Amino acid sequence: MKLDPSFIWTAFVQILSAIPTTLYITVVSVLIGFVIGVAVALIRIYRIPLLYPLAVGYVTFIRGTPMLTHLLLIYFGLPVLIDGLAAQFGWSFRSVSIPMIGFAYISFSITAGAYMSEVVRSGLLAVDRGQLEAAHSIGMTTPQALRRIVFPQALAASLPNLSNSVIGMLHGSTLAFTVSVVDINAKAQIVASTNWKFFEAYLAAALIFWGLTFLIERATSVIEKRINLYNRGGVA
Amino acid sequence: MGAPFDISYVFTFLPKLLGTLGTTLLIVGCSLLAGIIVGFLVALPRLYKVPVLKTCSEIYISFFRGTPILIQLFLFYYGLPEILKLIQVDMTRTPVLVFVILTYGLHTGAYMSEMIRAAVQAVDKGQVEAAYATGMTGVQAFTRIVLPQALGIAIPVFSNLVIALLKDTSLAFTLGVMEMTGKAQTLGSLTQHFIETYIALALIYLVISFAIEKLLLLAERRLLRHEKRSTAEIRSFKIHKNWSYRRIIAELGPGKGGAGL
Repeated sequence: MKLDPSFIWTAFVQILSAIPTTLYITVVSVLIGFVIGVAVALIRIYRIPLLYPLAVGYVTFIRGTPMLTHLLLIYFGLPVLIDGLAAQFGWSFRSVSIPMIGFAYISFSITAGAYMSEVVRSGLLAVDRGQLEAAHSIGMTTPQALRRIVFPQALAASLPNLSNSVIGMLHGSTLAFTVSVVDINAKAQIVASTNWKFFEAYLAAALIFWGLTFLIERATSVIEKRINLYNRGGVA
Repeated sequence: MGAPFDISYVFTFLPKLLGTLGTTLLIVGCSLLAGIIVGFLVALPRLYKVPVLKTCSEIYISFFRGTPILIQLFLFYYGLPEILKLIQVDMTRTPVLVFVILTYGLHTGAYMSEMIRAAVQAVDKGQVEAAYATGMTGVQAFTRIVLPQALGIAIPVFSNLVIALLKDTSLAFTLGVMEMTGKAQTLGSLTQHFIETYIALALIYLVISFAIEKLLLLAERRLLRHEKRSTAEIRSFKIHKNWSYRRIIAELGPGKGGAGL
């Protein structure tokens, strides 16, 4: 087995076809995770009774255990749960009809939700309390004030953390190979083992991930510049 | 899928999984040590702005932060022997654990160097100037003045890194290392009680990361005991910005205003 530089390019081109799967997993888990995160963050900030300990437990559990265990628990646990409920209530739905990538979506969304909730929470807490009070004083209701005043500022404050979370989920999506979803990593494995050129294939995969991460970082810095326009300070 | 759910298996699996806890902690400990050393070596050129080395360490950090740890594991496992073969070093008999620790060490090193850089930069420049003014050399100023302060600032980030590393070690099973996750998968396929094994596995990880967090919180309190505790004073006098300012720099929640919303 000798190093074959030209194969890196061959592998690169073949692995490119798996990029959409990786991006789908990342985008879906980040979006659903963001929604979960906002809900959990609001529950924690407003200390809503009953839900509050649940939210804290959820965040602690998810952040204290590896992403892989979430995926495996969902992969093995969810079908049992669904089939059990289906048998109980006579549904026609069976867990077999869930596609493999569905497990990845569900599990990664749950994972992303816990991390996102911390990001959203720190963003919300970074907004000065006076902003909310000023909004109240001109007659806005709390939902209005949150939506129009607090959230935009919180978003700007949490953008760097948000981008880190997206990158984290992008990298975490490599775990999808354990439930036989063909993402970039799984594709690299396939290309590697069919050609018996492991190093070259993984090098190509690493380059693709490096590029994607770089793009996310660039995009963030562009958005950050735009979104912080109001915050320039100085005169004019 | 598998045998019916039986909660009692969780308790029978716990001691079996705990038997491999040593391997997991060995990976965490060794790569942490390697990571700290690498982190320092990589952070120093950036802190002191050494021309060529600075670019090298930037590329190193960018690569290890820009690619998933799983890809890095495979890359090192398959790539390192081939590269070392070119300089006549035979690695075919090296245990897998060495590759795993090496990869995790380098991976953590990249994050460590960022942490060290942020923490050192968060120390007030006046501190170094004052140290120079009393006649300390550069090394003395760094080890006696900057480092102890930076250490306290870095602890929260460090704690996150250690926990992240612990969770990342669950990927070592992909190379066939028998650590906790690997053991859990074997137990699962042996007994067909997958859910119970993974619940037990999750519980162990949860307890360990909880313990690490609490321990490092104590360390932080101890290291920052010279700092002021009360935040009320800081809010009223903007000149006393030490505490909150440093926290922002060290990429922590500044916790300014807004509490209670």
